[in-house]
Amino acid sequence: MKRHVAWLCALACAAGAAPSRGQAQTADTLFATGVHAYKNLEFDLAASLLRRDLARRNVAAVPVAERARGLAYLGAAEWFRGRRDSAVVVFRRLVMLDPRYRPDRLIFPPEVTSAFDAVRLQTKTALIVLPGDTAVVLGTTLYRFWIVVSSFQQIDVSLRYEDGAPFRPLYVGPVGDSLDMSWDGLDAAGGPPAVSRMVLRVLSRAPTGELASIVQVPLAVTLVPADTLPWPPGPAASDLLPERADGAAAKRALLGGLLVSSAVLVLPAVVGESDTPSEPRVAVAGTIGLATALGFILHRPGRPLPDNVRANQAQRDAWQQRIASVTAENARRRRDVRLTVRGGEPTTIQPRGP
Amino acid sequence: MKRGLGVLVAALAASSISAQTIRPVANAAVVTARVRSELPAGTEELSGTALRGTGAVAFGRFHLLASYLQGSVQPDGGAGQSRDLAEGTVLLGAVPFKWLTLETGPYARAYSTPGATTQRWVFWELRARAAGAFIGSAVHGYAELWRALTADVNVPEPFDHAEGGEAGMIVRLARSPLEGRLAYRIDHVVLGGGSRTETVDGVIIGIGVAWR
Repeated sequence: MKRHVAWLCALACAAGAAPSRGQAQTADTLFATGVHAYKNLEFDLAASLLRRDLARRNVAAVPVAERARGLAYLGAAEWFRGRRDSAVVVFRRLVMLDPRYRPDRLIFPPEVTSAFDAVRLQTKTALIVLPGDTAVVLGTTLYRFWIVVSSFQQIDVSLRYEDGAPFRPLYVGPVGDSLDMSWDGLDAAGGPPAVSRMVLRVLSRAPTGELASIVQVPLAVTLVPADTLPWPPGPAASDLLPERADGAAAKRALLGGLLVSSAVLVLPAVVGESDTPSEPRVAVAGTIGLATALGFILHRPGRPLPDNVRANQAQRDAWQQRIASVTAENARRRRDVRLTVRGGEPTTIQPRGP
Repeated sequence: MKRGLGVLVAALAASSISAQTIRPVANAAVVTARVRSELPAGTEELSGTALRGTGAVAFGRFHLLASYLQGSVQPDGGAGQSRDLAEGTVLLGAVPFKWLTLETGPYARAYSTPGATTQRWVFWELRARAAGAFIGSAVHGYAELWRALTADVNVPEPFDHAEGGEAGMIVRLARSPLEGRLAYRIDHVVLGGGSRTETVDGVIIGIGVAWR
């Protein structure tokens, strides 16, 4: 009688749900009704409703936690219906879905949790927990991820090309609960990856060595070369001093000497005296003329200017030092090639049927 | 005129405040002096050597200069008495431009002959000197002209005018206050409407110390 009433209630609820409330609300109603039936010990009804709910949820790709709750209730309902094999299958699905899941011991009785634990211990699967989009410096910083297993098992963690060919093995060995893993962004030969897509694969093996499950996640990798510094500009022509004398100094010496010598020679005439002997004036003017000739030779056009040559060489040396430092910095930056890694949706492959 | 001169002096003074470093200058020179006196009665020529000492203190664009020259000149040909020659100058100068110096002040000259009256010549001069380096920064050339504004002369002829000048070169050693000088100078005084002229010229060879 109670079973019929519950069915009627479920049908009434299902019929009363307005189409406009959407698929999610229908699923929520099915799940709530199924749980309600379970709590009322209507295990057949609960199992039926929860299966329908899970079928909808699989299609709707709802969060793993909600699907796990549905499977837990379904497994418990099957257990209390006496269908232990169905319960084991449901629990195995639950373990495959989320190896970290543990039934709430305040909700489910010990026989259910014990049955679940037994299934979990026998089921060998793993969960790959990836970080968000991550950038690593090749060979320097690490791309870290976490592998959680359902129970003690042997795993084989490797990176593979999209076609399944091995790219780089990462770990082979036992895992009891979970394992922190890392990848330095390099391939097996120590070089940067030559492809933009690869697969992170975890093989779980039974104690007998048989393959139990395969979990793999597609990875999209992108090499991002670091920006290099531009070459520092060389000394501008306007910053360099002339390294050879132009004709200005020589011309100044020549003209200045002629002017002063002439001033000496014409000085008596300028002051109104024309009868003075010329010897002293000629001696002075001649000496100034000799000095002028010497000055002209010393400042002749084209002669090297050592001070300017040294000053220019200091500028060129400083520029060469800047070139060297930029070269070293660019070499360092070229070594620091960054690799961005973006993980996709994981998929689980079971070689054996449940 | 006075207002313009005041403005010029004020401008120079204002610009010199920024460079209030006192720079002393001192030099000594050997001067070959030749005196030529043309009188209606005849021409007298004397020559000799004198020593001249000069000291100056520069403050910004202004400087105060004093010089003293003493020596004796003998008549050319050996006949006649020698004269003692002494000159003294105190000049206040200003540098309106880097290449131009203006100076003014009294200039006194004395000829003393044993047993005769000493001739004293006192002029108030205005001098202008243009100078500049022409061989690198080591050799400077200069040319100077002066003219007497007023004169007080104890000779019978009335003063007419007086002019003079000096031109030469100064060699300054790099990173050293020492300097050497080679120049030619001439002073020409006209009295009595040209009936008497007094000319003193000569070569200056000197060394000096200038703290720049």
